[in-house]
Amino acid sequence: MNGLPVADRGTVRRALRGLIRRDRRAVTLLLALHGAAAIAGLAPPWLLGAIVDRVGAGAGVATVDRLALAIGGAVVAQALLSRYAQYAGHRFGERAVAQLREEFVRSTLRLPVSVVERAGAGDLATRSSVDVATVGTTVRDVVPTIVISAVQLALLFGAIFLLHPLLGLAALVGLPSIWLVTRWYLRRATPAYLAEGAAAADLTEALTSTAEGARTVEALRLADDRIVYGTARIDRLWRARRATLTLRTVFFTVVEASYPLPVAAVLLVGGFLLQAGMVPLGAVVAAALYLQQAIEPLDRLLQWTEQAQRGFASFARVLGVGLVPPEPPGRASPPRGERLVVRDARFSYPDGKDVLHGIDLEVSPGERLAVVGPSGAGKSTLARLLAGIDAPRRGVVSIGGCPVTDLDPAERRRRIALVTQEHHVFIGSLRDNLAFAAPDASDERMRSALATVGADWSARLPDGLDTPLGDGARQLDSAEAQQLALARLVLADPHTLILDEATAALDPTTARRTERALAALLAGRTVIAIAHRLNTAHDADRVAVLEGGRITEIGSHDDLVRAGGSYAALWRSWHAEPRDETTAGPGPRATSPRPR
Amino acid sequence: MPPQIPHPEPGTPDLGGPLRYLWWLVRCQPWRALRGSLLGTAWMVGLSVRPFLISRAVDDGLRAGNVRALAAWVAAIVAAGLGLAWLGIMRHRTMTFIREDAKARSAALVLRQLARIGAVLRRRAVAGEVATVGGSDIDWTAQVLTLTGPGVGAVVGYAVVAVVLWSISPLLALCVLLGVPAVGLVVGPLLRRLDGAESVYRQQQGELTARSGDIVAGLRVLAGVGGRGLFARRYAARSRDLLAEGYRVGAVNSWIDAAIVAVPGLFLAAVVWLGARMTATGEISVGQLVAVYGYVATLVVPVWFLLEGSHQFIRGRVAARRIIALLALTPDDVGGPGPGAVPGARRPEPEPEPVPSHPADLHDPVTGLTVHAGWLTGVAADDPADAVALADRLGRYVVSDVTWGGRPLSARPLDEVRARVLVAEHDSYLFAGTLREILCTRPGTGDERIAEALRAASAEDVTDALPAGLDTSVGGRARTLSGGQRQRIRLARALLAEPEVLILVDPTSAVDAHTEGRIAERLRTARTRRTTVLIATSPLLLGRADTVAHLHAGRVVATGTHLDMLDRDPGYRALVDRGSADDPTAPHRVRP
Repeated sequence: MNGLPVADRGTVRRALRGLIRRDRRAVTLLLALHGAAAIAGLAPPWLLGAIVDRVGAGAGVATVDRLALAIGGAVVAQALLSRYAQYAGHRFGERAVAQLREEFVRSTLRLPVSVVERAGAGDLATRSSVDVATVGTTVRDVVPTIVISAVQLALLFGAIFLLHPLLGLAALVGLPSIWLVTRWYLRRATPAYLAEGAAAADLTEALTSTAEGARTVEALRLADDRIVYGTARIDRLWRARRATLTLRTVFFTVVEASYPLPVAAVLLVGGFLLQAGMVPLGAVVAAALYLQQAIEPLDRLLQWTEQAQRGFASFARVLGVGLVPPEPPGRASPPRGERLVVRDARFSYPDGKDVLHGIDLEVSPGERLAVVGPSGAGKSTLARLLAGIDAPRRGVVSIGGCPVTDLDPAERRRRIALVTQEHHVFIGSLRDNLAFAAPDASDERMRSALATVGADWSARLPDGLDTPLGDGARQLDSAEAQQLALARLVLADPHTLILDEATAALDPTTARRTERALAALLAGRTVIAIAHRLNTAHDADRVAVLEGGRITEIGSHDDLVRAGGSYAALWRSWHAEPRDETTAGPGPRATSPRPR
Repeated sequence: MPPQIPHPEPGTPDLGGPLRYLWWLVRCQPWRALRGSLLGTAWMVGLSVRPFLISRAVDDGLRAGNVRALAAWVAAIVAAGLGLAWLGIMRHRTMTFIREDAKARSAALVLRQLARIGAVLRRRAVAGEVATVGGSDIDWTAQVLTLTGPGVGAVVGYAVVAVVLWSISPLLALCVLLGVPAVGLVVGPLLRRLDGAESVYRQQQGELTARSGDIVAGLRVLAGVGGRGLFARRYAARSRDLLAEGYRVGAVNSWIDAAIVAVPGLFLAAVVWLGARMTATGEISVGQLVAVYGYVATLVVPVWFLLEGSHQFIRGRVAARRIIALLALTPDDVGGPGPGAVPGARRPEPEPEPVPSHPADLHDPVTGLTVHAGWLTGVAADDPADAVALADRLGRYVVSDVTWGGRPLSARPLDEVRARVLVAEHDSYLFAGTLREILCTRPGTGDERIAEALRAASAEDVTDALPAGLDTSVGGRARTLSGGQRQRIRLARALLAEPEVLILVDPTSAVDAHTEGRIAERLRTARTRRTTVLIATSPLLLGRADTVAHLHAGRVVATGTHLDMLDRDPGYRALVDRGSADDPTAPHRVRP
């Protein structure tokens, strides 16, 4: 399994700078507003210092009134400025997040299927839900908070330096221990919090799967097993949470114990400066109050740094999806004709074993070929080679003389469609679920496509083509979903269809109805059907038997039955014709018990 | 003290309402909650110690020019800071323990409920709700318990500051006492508006995330049929809607945050103004003025806690309500005697009737089907819905008049029915775990038996192909396996459960004909002399049955061996032999 790539630090930094550069005016505005708000926030302690000095000098009530009114004005100014600063920041964050998630979806849609399959859908699903959301919170809430806190801190410490440089130096006592413990903490925090998140997701999974499989739990009496399983998940989550709590215990204890140190230092240094007549009392008071005021932004900054670090990691994973090279555009000139030719095709999955050992096959336009064989024979692999999803390790699969993997992906999809038993109903209306196969199709064409595949249920929907499907709306059962998939094909109208057990997941009656409907779809096309129902083979022009990665028999149904090979044996047992082999064991009646 | 998690037994919750449930979570850990309250209070009160010490350092040390006093007060500031750090972290640890205890307890309750309530969950389609409960509601509910610590502390801390202020000046104290409700009254309604604006945003955000997940899940379909551009555009349009909603939330949000800064700030300015006038007239000292400023500034902390707390409370109450709704679900009524069934509990189990302790015939009056004990009975239904309903009745997933050994099936204890009769559906759930864990639903199943069952289900190749064989972990729903492999694993699991009566619904619908033939052959041997019902239309399977029933329009219209039935019942022949040349309705193609 090759995972999806993760962007390196440089790429992430460039992307971050790109986000800021794209919205440079908004960033400048919000920084200016935050700075102004923080300056307004500096005024009250300074004004209080002024009050202390003036009152000490014998000033009257009128002076006090003026200064107190100024404090009120500063508070209002700070509130207004920070409101607009926050709003600007919020808008910037929203824009950036929207940009990121849209870019992510665009990148996801560009991914070649083989890459997704190798990486496993789970990785991509996590990136689309967890990582995009984490980046969203980081950009929308965390980064602005950090920016505001940093601006406030810089101004507060700057103000103390302005009061007196020695006071400023004294205020820096305590920062080294905070810096050291933060480094210690950040190095351990992200893996610990990720483990906590994974443990939490595991517990949720244990709960939801128990709910989804509730009937199975009841039928197989698995209740106690499920409780043991879930309890183990509760235990694991608790361990993970205790690990993060230990980290916080060390971190917060050191940080909080460091807070009184600069206050103490400022008072002591202030006492010395005061006696030397170098500063007034008000300056020392203001410096002490500034430090008291610095605790809150510092707290916020430290608390959110870890989150920012995690956002950075998620961002790397989100950007990684965009690093996958997209499917190469076609190299070959468009094929002439639709003849499908396979020459000595061999294929192995990354773990090494050859699945197909030299397949030779030719399918003429309009021909119907059925491929039968035991599971594990390589039927689905052959289907994927024919559809151009995988390239053979050796040999060639070509259509109209052109290797299918060299075709432009869009061109290839127009010509060859692979239908598997896997189907997916997208969230959206019935029309949305059809339209992407043929964007210009009229409602009439959609309805007739649905009718062609026997999707009678679609005519009974309350809002017709506008009926919402999937996720909380009308749920289609697997038969309906498969018919929907087939209707898409009718609309897409490819010349060559590869059906990989397209009706296997349907119950027999629906399968029969769908197969009958399929006949209408198949007319005039080249069809290669991987079949597990022999009637499909019976109806085909030719049947190929695939065993152990090789085609062992090929020919018309009648020829193969006459030839008396493995296909013939299978056909006879299907038809319940008297068996001629003695190896098949005693007939059903021979062993049937007669209990009464 | 850290709690004992996981709880051996989570206890019996009070489901009388969200508040009662929350209170129950507190009552489960009274001493820890008390400790949390004390630490929360001490910490909150401790916050106002520093302004006091600073004011003394200013008055006695700096103003008086007394270096010794200054040094003493500065030492006190450092000591108090260390004490506060200790109180703060102990508070955080205790509150974390309280919340984790509540989370683990809720999770254990939900887990037990989900595991025991059974089939009703699927019908109610509550899987999505469970994801919400497990993913966030349990956490939000536990978050409310924060009120027991810093919540109590905030109230007490506030009162303490008021008392201290009273000693400085009753007028100032009065201001503070009246100011608090004023702050609450201004910010309260804003908070509710914030909630409303955010909820729409969150919902839209959830929908958008669902859409990107939807695209990821359907990527292969899009790759096969095309239409990627359309989906990208559609997603972008939704994303823009969310952006607009985000702007709207931001506009409201930022005002609220500004108010949260401004209201206490103005309040502070007013108090300082009063204090400064008193200083000017000599009523209080400069140091006291500085202290007053410090006290009111530290009041921001309890105000924040109370505002945040009320926010969490609103959210947690909704979350608790959803948990209660899930815990209050009752299982389906599947029959069984006992009048006046109590809602919220399964009907009381009857005294076990003396029959049948040995294998006996099952009879379903609705279809007229009789399942003979020890036979392999095939059932071919024209309408698959009839077959599913039949399996539900025979397995007692619904109320019915099915008899077992002549007595009503519903008269048996349900647990016994589940132990002896197994309905194995073709889409039964495969939980995450190793293949061995998936297969062995009974303790003490040896590898030999597993190998036998895998052979009977013709699934040896599944384990052979996996890197660690039986010990290979597969994810939920065994998605890494193919449809046919999953189905054969399910069959092997059902065989390993060795029920007295096994009802298999379409056990080979996703398997190729070669394999199906093998399964049909081996299934007979695996279930020799044991009652087995095979609901299917495959001739390969039905050909192996002792007797076959044809279900037409919900009734058994013919029974006999497969071969007899092919001769006698043209409807049956058409059903099982679809596609054959003599079926006039089949899509027959003229071959050259």
